[in-house]
This record gives sequence, structure tokens and C-alpha cells, in this order.
Amino acid sequence: MKNFRVTGIQARLLVLIALVVMFSLTTPYFFGVSNLTNIIVNASVVGVIACPMTLLLVARQIDISVGSAVALSAAVFVVMSEKQSLIIGLVSGLAAALFVSALNVAAIVYLRVESIIVTLAGLIAFRGLAKVVLDGRSVTINGWDYIGEHRINAFGLLKVPVPVVIFMVMLLIFYFIMRATKYGSNMYAIGANPESARLSGIKLEVQVAKAFALMGLAVFIATTMTVSMTGIASPTSGQNLEFLALTAVILGGVGLGGGRGNVLGTCLAVLILAVVDNALVLRGVQSFWQEVARGSLLMLAVIFDQLSRKRDKTVRMGI
Amino acid sequence: MSAKNVTLKVENLNKNYGSVVALSNVSFEILKGEVVALVGDNGAGKSTLVKCVAGSVFPSSGSIYLDGEKVNFHTPGQARDAGIETVYQQLALVDTFNISENLFLGKEVKRTGLSRLFGILDRKEMRRQALQAIQEFNATFPDVNATVETMSGGQRQIVAMTRGAFWGKSLLLLDEPTAALGVQESKSVLEVIERFRSQNQMSLLIISHNLEHVWQVCDRILVLRGGNLVANLVKKDVTKSDVVSHITGAYSK
Repeated sequence: MKNFRVTGIQARLLVLIALVVMFSLTTPYFFGVSNLTNIIVNASVVGVIACPMTLLLVARQIDISVGSAVALSAAVFVVMSEKQSLIIGLVSGLAAALFVSALNVAAIVYLRVESIIVTLAGLIAFRGLAKVVLDGRSVTINGWDYIGEHRINAFGLLKVPVPVVIFMVMLLIFYFIMRATKYGSNMYAIGANPESARLSGIKLEVQVAKAFALMGLAVFIATTMTVSMTGIASPTSGQNLEFLALTAVILGGVGLGGGRGNVLGTCLAVLILAVVDNALVLRGVQSFWQEVARGSLLMLAVIFDQLSRKRDKTVRMGI
Repeated sequence: MSAKNVTLKVENLNKNYGSVVALSNVSFEILKGEVVALVGDNGAGKSTLVKCVAGSVFPSSGSIYLDGEKVNFHTPGQARDAGIETVYQQLALVDTFNISENLFLGKEVKRTGLSRLFGILDRKEMRRQALQAIQEFNATFPDVNATVETMSGGQRQIVAMTRGAFWGKSLLLLDEPTAALGVQESKSVLEVIERFRSQNQMSLLIISHNLEHVWQVCDRILVLRGGNLVANLVKKDVTKSDVVSHITGAYSK
């Protein structure tokens, strides 16, 4: 190896390990199978959303309506399954999630409005719509606890909670899409140089629309997870999800400029955020201060992104 | 000359933007394997003419023939499919991609069999073909795996030209290939153009306002002034100052 340098992924892995070691030594109850499992389970919903969010940011798009989309999908899912049946509830919830991404695609691709503006409108409107469907209350669901309650035996050794399995599967799928396929490569091109991509015959609108469709599916998956884990749909379902996923993607190395980074970085960032969050709770930090910490982490992520962009012009896509 | 040897034929081409005449009755031919320079002052109509041939502007009237067949390009994609590649002044490269990724941008090679269904890239094959193309044009890069953002302006120009030559079957349009380059860089770009000429069956049309640069590589010079083709000169019959006087309008018979 001519020049040894720490890659982005290695740096994030080191940060994660350092945090885990530090909190294990300083925070009671942090280092234990049940707490560590708990951290990863809590990170799973964010992780599922963060995967397609990575794809979007790589192509210079953004979706800040996902938290509200989860709320709407959850509301429709739970209300319909209580009124009709679980199957009809699931189908309706999926339809709601895809409806949201179809509206986003229509406004971004056909009306050519910036995705941050379109999804800001969605962030407000879809949570409102969720409250309309729920009539402002929380509604409980029966018979949908599999994801939240069960564990899958892995290699006969580990019992892995279902949400973690779902997160890992999403991660693998998106790693594959972005690393190995023509579609993934074209999304990196769109993010790095949109005009060059267009001149090379890549259809930007179609590719971006596909990414929002994938986000719609991810929103539905996240909905089924969140509903199963909490047992309810409420006006606050999925709250802060867009913000957590975005922080993870930026901290994970994609940055707002697009064209670089990957889901492995995002995954590590999701875990870093979850570890910090958990440690703050265990140490009894007041919840107001937890919010301050989360916001500061996002700011740190953006600053880190700016610095690495200036310093390192040779960062390539991939690892 | 037989019609078979004519790569591009432009006949009575006109382009108006409202009442502004950008091109007026322009006619010329480019022979197979010929390197033709298109020169003229700013606003002479060079870009409009090239855009008509490349398919990004549709002419008001007139005809374009490629390899003897009449063509009507409404999009750059149609021109590319027909065998005309364009190297734009801004190069249309993706900075974070390496040479082979840029060479196959938008035309990626997919693996065969079941993998094709998922659109899986065949990076190995693309890399192999890219290296072959680089070798063919004898272009040299310090590191063929480096991303183009780490390359100099001249190297980037050569990457874009290699892509054009790789895909172009009939005609390669070069828009100001040396405009943004220093002396040494221009020299290496011109060397690659020389190699295109000696190895390729492809014709080249080079747009430039730097007569000095195109002079050494071209066979023929077209001079545009005010939308009119004022001169069609064979290089060996004229001097540089003849061409300059055509460009400025000082030439008189």
C-alpha cells in the first residue's frame, strides 16, 4: 500500500467503536446484551428509511416528508385493519405510502419543483392528514406484533430481532443497487454532474422517480415495523424520522453535494446516532438537552462534510 | 470523388432565430477520414452549425446527409445513434468517475444471463475495453484508475475525446478542444487528434478560434462569417494569413 489513509468507512467504524468503549466504561447498564440489542432495534426503523435516503442524496435529491408519510401510512394501516381486516389494512397502508411518493414524484419530476420544497409541504400536510384519519387520537392494533416481538435464529447462535433482520436486508439490497447496478452508477453520475449525465443520455427524471418509488416502499416497511413495535398508530408516529435519517446520511459521508458516499457509511452513522442517544438516556440527561445534542450532531455532520469536501478531492464512490 | 467517400454532406442549411439569421445557405462536405477545421469569429455561426449536425438544434431549412443518407436529428441521442459523437467544451464528464466509468457513461455494459435482469454492471469488461481504447489512441495517463477530477485539463479533454472516438462511428465533433488549455496541454491534445487521423476511419470536425492549433492537424478549413460560409480551403493551398483575412473579412479576390 503506497499511501496509507483511513477511508471514510474505517473512520466511522473507529468512531463507533470508540463511543461504545467509552460509554461502556463510563455509563452503567450500557454494555450488556439487552441494551446493545435495544440500541440496534431502535436504530432499525431509521436505518430502513436511511437506505433510500442515501440513494436520494447521492443524486442531489432529498425527502423530508418521510416521517409524516410513515404517520399517514400507519394511520391508514391501523384504522383500516381495525375496521376491516389486517390484509386490507396492510394494502391500504401500502397504498398510502405509494400515494405520497407518487405526489412527490409528480411535483418534483413533472412540475420541476425542488424536492426540498415539495417534501417540506408534504412534511406538514401528510402529518395533518394522518391526524384527520386518526381523528387526533392514538389507535391500537391487534394481531400485528410479530415484527416487534419475534427473533430469528441466526446460525443457531444469535437470536436476532426481526426489525434488525429487516434493516440488514434493506442495507444489503441498497448496497447492491448502488454498488453493482447500472441504475446505481447513473444515480452517482446524476449527483456528481447532472448536466454531464443528461448529455450522456441518462434520463434524470425517470431515475429520480424510481428512487422516490423505492422510498415509498421503504416508508411502508418502516410503518409496519413501527406499528408492530409500538402497537399503535398515533399523531406522533414517525416523528423526527426524516431528521434522524438525514443526519445519518450526512454523517455517513454522502453530504449535500451528492455523487459520493454509500449505505455502509450511512449504516455506521445510524448506529453512532443510536449509541449516543441511548447513552444520553441512560445517563439521565434531561430530554430537552437530548434534543440539543441531536441538533448539534446534525450540525457537526454538516461541518464534517464541508471540511472533508475541501480537504479531499479524491474521495471516490464506494468504499 | 465518389459519393461513397463523403461522410457528412450539408446542403443549403439555414437557421433563423426570429429575424436573426444564424446560418445562411451553408453547404459543404466532409470526406471519410478527413479532419476539417471550422473557424470564424465570435457569433459567426460555428456553434449553431455544429449544434445542427449534433442534433441539439433543428435547422430552419436545408438538408444534412450522413454517409449518403438524409438525416433529421431532433435530439442529440438520435445523432449519437447514427454515429455522430460530440465532445462538448464542458466535456460532459462525471468528476467522481474514473476513465472507464466515464467512457461508458449512459451506455454501461451489463453482465449477461440472469444478472442482466437486475442491470448488473460488467465493470471488468468496461475496464478492459477502456484500456484498449486508451492504448489504441496511445493516450497516456499517470493512473488509469484515477477519477477525472484529479486530472489536468488536457487529460480530461483526452478522456472526453477518447470516449467520442470510442463510440463515434462516422463523425467526431470537437468543440474548442484546446480553448482552456496551456501550451504543453494543447500539444498533447493535438497529438491525440493526430493519432485519431492516422488510425481511424472516422472524420473529424474541429471548431476552434485558435487557427494556430488547428492548423497542424487539419486537412481543410471552413470559414464562417456572419452565418455565411465564406471560404472552404484546402490547407496545402493556402497560408495562415489567407485564412485570417477570410475570418476578418479583409480578403478580396
